[in-house]
Amino acid sequence: MHKRNRLFVSIALVYGLLGGLIAIVRLIDPSLIPGNVPRAHGHIMLLGFILMTIYGIALHVLPRFGGFPLYSEQMADWQLYLANAGLPLMIAGWLGWRDMLVMVGGALTYGAIVLFGLNMILTVRAGGRGRVIPVQ
Amino acid sequence: MKIELIVSGVCPFCLEAEKVWRVAAADHGFEFVVLDIAQPEGAALAQRLNLQTVPALLIGGVLRAVGVQSPEEALTLLHSPRQEAHDRMQQMGFAFSPDNRWFILTAQVYLMLAGLGLLMNSSFLSDNAARPAFMHLFTLGFMLFMIYGLASHMLPRFTGNPIREGSWPWLQMGLAHCGVIGYAAGYLAGRHTLIVVGAVLTWLSLAIFAFRVWPVLWPEEA
Repeated sequence: MHKRNRLFVSIALVYGLLGGLIAIVRLIDPSLIPGNVPRAHGHIMLLGFILMTIYGIALHVLPRFGGFPLYSEQMADWQLYLANAGLPLMIAGWLGWRDMLVMVGGALTYGAIVLFGLNMILTVRAGGRGRVIPVQ
Repeated sequence: MKIELIVSGVCPFCLEAEKVWRVAAADHGFEFVVLDIAQPEGAALAQRLNLQTVPALLIGGVLRAVGVQSPEEALTLLHSPRQEAHDRMQQMGFAFSPDNRWFILTAQVYLMLAGLGLLMNSSFLSDNAARPAFMHLFTLGFMLFMIYGLASHMLPRFTGNPIREGSWPWLQMGLAHCGVIGYAAGYLAGRHTLIVVGAVLTWLSLAIFAFRVWPVLWPEEA
């Protein structure tokens, strides 16, 4: 499994634990963490935990299921960078009530989503670059 | 000692071989690993051994047999000391292990409960006090359980590294069930303490999942 894909899954686990912890702290004492905590929690879990798990697993398995190599490793690398630059900015924006940070972070996160979507479309569609090396 | 079974997804006999060797490995306390030749680790091993046939069996890194063995044949191939802790055995399966099967099955139950609750409670149209209960039945009960079951099954096969088994997945599952049910019940009953306890238990299940999966992603020798 490519190191980048393992990083996606590993970072997803970290986000999952972080998002859960924030929610628990909020439940115990809402004043302990400032800002829009429910929104931050929701997006940490969905964009950080769920989506990055999907990124890591899909980047590994969809090319194999599709029968073609990943269209672009570079796109996937940039997807990792953008996703992990965007979400922390969004979290900082929500917790610090800075809408600009949320917007910039959201744009970066969306950039990662677009890169992933295009990469998957170009990988899975019929007539890609070539077959995965068959092993008999 | 480690038993490695090299299989293929298109091989009709491999599942039978896995069943035989899973039982034999468990009975003798051996580490048991299934490697798919469609994955890089399995392909590399098959190439190194110049394998032409699957399933193929390696005991202690040495190719010992190909094809499907009977339980009696498996026993004759195993002349080894019994291992001390059966419950510490690490393995990864070709088919779903019982714990992963239960994760997937119960996820569907939570999905149906969540959908029913959201429909009956009109939570699609407006926020109300019970909405978080059904939302989290979906996100924690369905999505998290699906990730538990699928990732625990697939990641060891993708990486070629074993996952922590024994009592860990069952502890993870028990905490997750108690957590999700407690959390939802807390919202429905208006009991804040129950909500917090449910959240903590669910978080602990996620921590155990991370503890199990981390060495799969980042083995010590890597």
